[in-house]
Amino acid sequence: MLNSLRMPRRLIPGFFHHKKVVPFVFLAPFLTVFLIFKVYPVILAIIMSFQNFQGVKSQDWVGLSNYENVFELVRFSQALTNTTVYTIGTLLVLIPLPLVLAVLLDSGRVVASTVFRVLIFLPALTSLVVAGTVFRLILAKDGFLNLFLEGTLGLDRLRWLEVSELALPSLILIATWRWTGMNILYFNSGLVNIPQELYESAAIDGASPWKMFLSITLPMLRPTTFFVVVLSIIGGYQVFVEPFILYAGGAGPGDGGLTLALLIYRTAFTSFNFGTAAAMGVILALIIFVFSLIQFRFFGVLGRED
Amino acid sequence: MSRTKIFTLLLVAAIGFSAFGMTLAQDATELSLWVFVDRHGLYMQNAADRWNEAHPDRPIEIVYEQIDYTQMHDNLLASLLVGMGAPDLADVEIKKFATFTKGDIQFLPLNEVIDEYRADIIESRLAPYTANGNNYGIDYHLGAFVMYYNTGILEEAGVDVDSIKTWDDYIEAGLKVTRDTDGDGEIDVYMASVEVTDIFSAYALMLMNGGGTYNADGEIILESEANVEALQYLQDMVHVHGIARPASGGGHHSPDHFIDLVEGRIASLWMPQWYMTRYPDNMSSELADVAVVRPMPVFEEGGYTTTMGGGTGTAITNQIDPDKIALAAEFLAFAKLTYDANVLLWTDLGFDPMRLDVYDDDALLITMDDFSGEMPFIHIKAGLGNVAPEYTGPFYPEIATIFQTTGLYDLIENQMDPAEVLANAAEELRAMGAEF
Repeated sequence: MLNSLRMPRRLIPGFFHHKKVVPFVFLAPFLTVFLIFKVYPVILAIIMSFQNFQGVKSQDWVGLSNYENVFELVRFSQALTNTTVYTIGTLLVLIPLPLVLAVLLDSGRVVASTVFRVLIFLPALTSLVVAGTVFRLILAKDGFLNLFLEGTLGLDRLRWLEVSELALPSLILIATWRWTGMNILYFNSGLVNIPQELYESAAIDGASPWKMFLSITLPMLRPTTFFVVVLSIIGGYQVFVEPFILYAGGAGPGDGGLTLALLIYRTAFTSFNFGTAAAMGVILALIIFVFSLIQFRFFGVLGRED
Repeated sequence: MSRTKIFTLLLVAAIGFSAFGMTLAQDATELSLWVFVDRHGLYMQNAADRWNEAHPDRPIEIVYEQIDYTQMHDNLLASLLVGMGAPDLADVEIKKFATFTKGDIQFLPLNEVIDEYRADIIESRLAPYTANGNNYGIDYHLGAFVMYYNTGILEEAGVDVDSIKTWDDYIEAGLKVTRDTDGDGEIDVYMASVEVTDIFSAYALMLMNGGGTYNADGEIILESEANVEALQYLQDMVHVHGIARPASGGGHHSPDHFIDLVEGRIASLWMPQWYMTRYPDNMSSELADVAVVRPMPVFEEGGYTTTMGGGTGTAITNQIDPDKIALAAEFLAFAKLTYDANVLLWTDLGFDPMRLDVYDDDALLITMDDFSGEMPFIHIKAGLGNVAPEYTGPFYPEIATIFQTTGLYDLIENQMDPAEVLANAAEELRAMGAEF
């Protein structure tokens, strides 16, 4: 077997031995998949967004009319608002919570921290279809969440799945369950890179753990935090699967859980209007692009690195 | 043995086996079918068995695949769009059908095979699957609305199920049935649950009141007075009379709603006849001793006695092998439109037939353990006096989506004025390009 892998040099044309070519040879499998499944659809979507693409038929160019359609859609502003609120919500939860948990797990004061790490990370690997069904039961009126809130805080039972206002909180809850472990992992890798000496000298100077957290851990974690924030915003604006699964293909009562991605899906697969859907996709991509650009400037990653 | 030799041997074996498989398959023409309800696939397989008995010279084999509702329709749309990967036959649900008729229709017309039976079937059952004068799908059933009662709860409240004839009777009975049974100040049993995230509770009242989404001329009639009245009636049931509440989880297919039914918190609801299959399938027949089916109440004497809800048309896609088209079309008609097939629709599949001439056949008078050992067919038939037709059109899927998302939510949860709900829906449709 091994013999066959060690191919004689002469069988491979000299061109592939060139230093500038070799990396691309190794990257070829990834690049092929990336070009076919990522780049090509993106280009196609941009083209489609300028075409009248309704149903199966030949398409003609319609200029910007698909983009005009998008802004005429009654649900577009609602979807945009929902998506933004959802993204802000996930940022408010999914940055501080994993940060604190990561620091705690890293502090050596938690027994069996590896077990906790694994347990918290598991949701990221769980099938969302299964999770959606389980969350429907958890969020039901007689479900676990209501019983828990009633038992501990004495709260009235809430209609999580039936009231429009509770749709986004429900989705943020699922996002928290799903992504906390992942973000802990990111923060953890950031924590490992902070030199231990900093803490030691601070301790000698008599700094309290809280002071060390504020003056050493937080500033040193800035690149990691930036990374997690960017990822969360991109993920937040693209949210699709969570509401899709939780509301069985819909967007919840009163469209309370309608996100941009869901509206794109609905425009394409219910109205069979791929042109307008593609235009919406391009708009969504622009939004994410602008946000990322602002953050890059804000965090000083572009240009000057401090 | 060298690797080349092993490889050659495997290749020969593979070719040999596939050739062997081909000779077997040559006996029966294989037809692939996508369904989203397993019962439909089983029914079609049984129909193929019957076809093979009747036509031993042209045998058929149905190979069906059951895929989740949303995914199946999405996959079908995608495969029709790219021109490959679609099955020979596909089930398309009524709310999705118009989506497929936009642009060049990728299904084959079935007019020719339907013509033979056209006089016998309820024509408006074909309407939802018709575009540009062509019939593209054949439904499985009529889908007439019926009332589902829990006689245990009604009897406890002193209500005789057969005394309810009109919607006003229904509300009167509801006032007796709806009550706080344990004295904690909260109502435990409601007469009815209504859907907020699905259309059936609302559409039934709209259609039975002479309204609906489209009229016979294909015009959108959302803002008709009949619709306003019907939605007002529905809203009043919840907020004025207090006899109904939104179904737990939003619709009549939500798991929490099934729990409500089993736990005896809901005394009745109205859904199409096919909802009967949910009693064994989703509620493990736990209501077998108390569940009964009765005709719908009427708004007024001589008015519509019921209407139709839901439906699934089986279509032939244009990706079928041209040699199979004639056989597939003939089989489809055989499986769904013949007299015997319509008897079996009820006895085999538990669906109400769409050929009215079989309704007098004694073969349909079977008792059902899941429905208190009664003969439900008697009651279904009794309700078919004056069936309100349902017309659909190109924006039928979008209208349904509006009702399922904001329309009924505004009506039931936000107590919005019905006329405003309908005006909002109309405005949204116009923004999507609908002209009316």
